[in-house]
Amino acid sequence: MIFGPSRRQIRGVVAVAAAAAMLLASTACSPGTASTDGAQDSGTPQAGGTLRVGIVGGSAKDSLDAHSPVTHPDEARVIQLYDTLATYDADHQLEMALAEDITPSEDATTWTVTLREGLKFSDGSPIRAEDVVFTFRRITDPADPKSGAAGLALLDRDRLAATDARTVTFPFTKPLATFPDAVAQYSNGIVPEGYDPTAPVGSGPFMLQSFDPGSQSTFVRNPHYWRAEQPYLDEITIIDFPDDTARVNALLGGQVDAIDQLPLSQIEVIKANPNLRVLESETGSWIPFTMRIDQAPFDDPRVREAFRLMVDREEMVQQVLGGHGTVGNDMYGRFDPCYPDDIPQRTQDIDRAKELLAEAGQSDLTVELVTSPVAAGLVEAAQVFAEQAKEAGVTVDVRKVDPGEFYGDQYLQWTFAQDFWFTRDYLPQTAAGSVEGAPYNETHWSNPEWAALVEEASATVDEEARCDLIAQAQQIEYDLGGYIIWGFPNSVDAHTAAVQGLVPDKSGIPLTSFGFRSVWLNN
Amino acid sequence: MRRMLLKRCLFGLVTLLVVSFVVFLATQALPGDAARAILGREATPERLAALREQLNLEGSLPSQYLNWLGSLLQFDLGTSLAAKQPVTGMIGPTLVNSSVLMLSAAVVATPLAIVIGTWSALKKDSAVDHATGIVTLVLAALPEFVVGILLVLLLSTGLFHLLPAVYVGTPGQQVWNDPAQLVLPALTLVLAVLPYIVRIMRATMLEVLDSEYVQQARLKGVPERTVIIRHALPNAVGPVAQVIALQLAWLVGGVVIVEYLFRFPGVGFQLIDAVANRDLPLVQALVLAIALFYVVVNLLADVVTLAANPKVRTAR
Repeated sequence: MIFGPSRRQIRGVVAVAAAAAMLLASTACSPGTASTDGAQDSGTPQAGGTLRVGIVGGSAKDSLDAHSPVTHPDEARVIQLYDTLATYDADHQLEMALAEDITPSEDATTWTVTLREGLKFSDGSPIRAEDVVFTFRRITDPADPKSGAAGLALLDRDRLAATDARTVTFPFTKPLATFPDAVAQYSNGIVPEGYDPTAPVGSGPFMLQSFDPGSQSTFVRNPHYWRAEQPYLDEITIIDFPDDTARVNALLGGQVDAIDQLPLSQIEVIKANPNLRVLESETGSWIPFTMRIDQAPFDDPRVREAFRLMVDREEMVQQVLGGHGTVGNDMYGRFDPCYPDDIPQRTQDIDRAKELLAEAGQSDLTVELVTSPVAAGLVEAAQVFAEQAKEAGVTVDVRKVDPGEFYGDQYLQWTFAQDFWFTRDYLPQTAAGSVEGAPYNETHWSNPEWAALVEEASATVDEEARCDLIAQAQQIEYDLGGYIIWGFPNSVDAHTAAVQGLVPDKSGIPLTSFGFRSVWLNN
Repeated sequence: MRRMLLKRCLFGLVTLLVVSFVVFLATQALPGDAARAILGREATPERLAALREQLNLEGSLPSQYLNWLGSLLQFDLGTSLAAKQPVTGMIGPTLVNSSVLMLSAAVVATPLAIVIGTWSALKKDSAVDHATGIVTLVLAALPEFVVGILLVLLLSTGLFHLLPAVYVGTPGQQVWNDPAQLVLPALTLVLAVLPYIVRIMRATMLEVLDSEYVQQARLKGVPERTVIIRHALPNAVGPVAQVIALQLAWLVGGVVIVEYLFRFPGVGFQLIDAVANRDLPLVQALVLAIALFYVVVNLLADVVTLAANPKVRTAR
């Protein structure tokens, strides 16, 4: 599947409810002005104004291509410029966007997409079924596959066709029950036939005005946008900030109105300021340890289970995320409607871990854990884990490498390492990281019984039947899998009190999935 | 003296060549290539293969280096791997931006440091002298990013809200169009180089003031002001010029961190990005520009020292 907000760093946050409570508390305590504009979403949206947003990262490699965003500012830009057929709302519920209907055939091998009526691109030309066909052929071009290609590997692109002006048929080589998830990924935005990334014509709420890679880009409102009233803002400026300190300083100094990924250490600073707000979201992001199940010592399931039992998850969430996260249970897809809540929570059990290691003949084990600062909390998690492993008599040598080396020739081949993922449902996640031939199968997971379950689930349109299969598959990964999923970090952003319309969002993509179309300024 | 200068220039050229070779080897030693660095986490085999082909990352190491050197002789710095644009066009504006920043820092720091150092020497052992000594020592001990963070806290986000905390330019505008945004980075650089110059100026000045020719001048009844300006200062400036040159050369390195901290779009900012992207042509061009600056500044310092000292000037 498509890699969500892939390369961005994760920052911790608090549970939504707790966050809201704390926000209210902090504004209630602060004097004067706070009470009048303290609440989120106060009043009716006002049109107009310019929003300046500071976003982590950015580089000379910044691109405008709708289908190959590589940096975080790229993700933010792509979301402003291009709309997708469907989308996830802040509560991780799928809703239709450019499409008014997406229907599977009975066996889910063919999907029919119907576009809304009267849609237009930013240059005023109509959005036609042919443009949708062009878009998905471009994404899955075998000579130059884009970000979304892996998630659409089953698409029979030659038979992909427009049946009339507003209808497109998507044929697949195998059943694909999760097709709507694929088209809801932001890197699969709809572009016009003959699309030129350097002078982009888009389908999103804003149009490009200027673009300076590694520095900043500006956008103006798209007058042909399909959602009534939106966007409210006249202009947006997206500013690249590779450095955390500079990004926070820009917000404190009033040079930007909102920033993504507030460092944990700055949360209290922002909360203490009556003119600033912290936006905290509980997410389905996860930052697992990855054990290669085809290499010693992890080729023994007893060792894998022992490692999962060595982790004190509560302590991890406290120490690594400063309490801004939720404990994990070695299973991903936490917001999937089929997530099995009834599987018991795994907790630290040093005695059992020692027992398992002894049975496996691996007492006094020494392993190397490869870590890299590719996402917030990874290196810290590795260090805390090494401490916790000591209790079970396991020596974990933490080897910290530079991101270039982490993603170098050994990428996806490390015996014991880490990774980060964003909120996705179970099946799309397996397609990305666990099934045979998945592009990011970092644990080298392979289990015929499990694979059969997942394949059957992927072909099952009936939700109840699918959930049953997914629960069985989850149970197998819970028992035997190569991931140690100790927690789900929250995401934390910050903005000024004048910025309205940003709400906590489960996606893990900052600032309400960069949803600036619903932002307005309360002046 | 002319022969000496010529020799220095040749040495400078050799230095640049060696630098370019070392940097080439260093970037090759970094794990991963540009295609991996650009795609990062999304480096699937299919996308890697497609990008590698686009970027033309094939060819042996020696041939890559020789190709690069060959085009350099024709003033062609190649094409950036990450931005897919000519390097010359990319580094032009950043070189100008960094020069503006460093020049403003140097123009403020140098005269200020000479004045403070001289003054401190004249008031030897006074309270002012001691205060200067302590302040310069503390500043010299603090890394420049600490100084920068403290300045931001003091002047823009914490105590006072006088100056912009970071550089956020307007598209299509030059950096000097909004001088307020330049103040904090420039001030950080000033505080970084000032202490050394002040201290060496004070020490040299004390030495000169103790010398026989200054005493002679004083005995002749020359007014103190003239003694200092005509006799002491010119003799003190020679050795100080070397230190100033070293400090300016250091600036071009120190500017990397300061630019990053203030998000200033200069050479340092660009270099960090280029290294992260394994963008070899861009890294090479930037390092070469920095090395060139080093060589030129040192050459100028030699010239000043020579010019200030007749004994050296006339020696063969």
